[in-house]
Amino acid sequence: MTARKPAFTAVDGIDGAAIVAAARTALASIDREARGGISHWDASGLFGEAAVAGDEAGRPSARTLLLLYAADLAFRLRWEIRPALAEGRGVVAAPYVDTAVAFGRAAGIERAWLANLFQFAPRPNQRRFADEAARSRRGHGFVEFALEHAT
Amino acid sequence: MIKSRKALHALSPEEFSLLHAADFRHRVEQQVLPALWDGKLVIADRFLFTGLARDVARGLDLDWVLKLYQPLLWPDLVFYFAVSPATSGRRVVGDADAAASTKPARTSPHVDDPVESYQRFITRVIREYESLALIFNFITVDAERSIGEQHRQIRGLFRDGAQRPWSDWNADAVADWLAIGGGAA
Repeated sequence: MTARKPAFTAVDGIDGAAIVAAARTALASIDREARGGISHWDASGLFGEAAVAGDEAGRPSARTLLLLYAADLAFRLRWEIRPALAEGRGVVAAPYVDTAVAFGRAAGIERAWLANLFQFAPRPNQRRFADEAARSRRGHGFVEFALEHAT
Repeated sequence: MIKSRKALHALSPEEFSLLHAADFRHRVEQQVLPALWDGKLVIADRFLFTGLARDVARGLDLDWVLKLYQPLLWPDLVFYFAVSPATSGRRVVGDADAAASTKPARTSPHVDDPVESYQRFITRVIREYESLALIFNFITVDAERSIGEQHRQIRGLFRDGAQRPWSDWNADAVADWLAIGGGAA
């Protein structure tokens, strides 16, 4: 009998609420005893702190927000994703790398810079895209945050 | 943001590097480039090379870290104040603010003695600085000398380089900044 590799699922998209809904569905598809959990963006609280910074700090650029996103993702990998996988549990990263790359490309940032930025992030076993907006409530994902706060 | 997390020892080398790169990018866009665009002179105490030396000393790949800072904004002059690890350690211990911080203990987590930990770390940082000084043609100042002597040397070197045009090699950084609305009146 061979040991099954723990499932690492990435859920990406532009709509925060849709990502959360798709992540819940993805988590529910994992056997109950092997369920780790969902790793959400801003687990580190970096963006929460950035949101309350005074106007005098100036609005961050898309590139600055992506560097913060990568720092937050490194935090999530260290404290949430890798420990769950090490215990043999399935984990859902919602969002993961593709959301940030899509935002960066839309903001005109070079593909090579984005590829280098997320070099530290392991490849997930599965990738899902949340392409249906959850209309019941307003989402507050990374893309919404970035559109609200970036220059 | 960085200071509070650093004090809690809550940052991995990657997180520290990425947060510094974000902070650096924000300062370049909000302070350095607007001032240069207005024809002002900017003195940065410290610039990206400090981050490079520190992050590589912590085991990160130089190429990965350097690319985080792209598009690069190169200074016209880079002064590198060179001291031995022993002098650096003495100055940190003698500095009340630095001694009160947890900086030495943070640097080499597998060494219990904070002074020993700091010595090991700063030796690696100095090695990286010396490599960068060669690659990027820093002006090395002997910081073992008195403050007065260093001051006179810096004034002389700075006068020689005061009138410089915009550097062509910064074109990508300026273009990137203008694209996000920098330079708008």
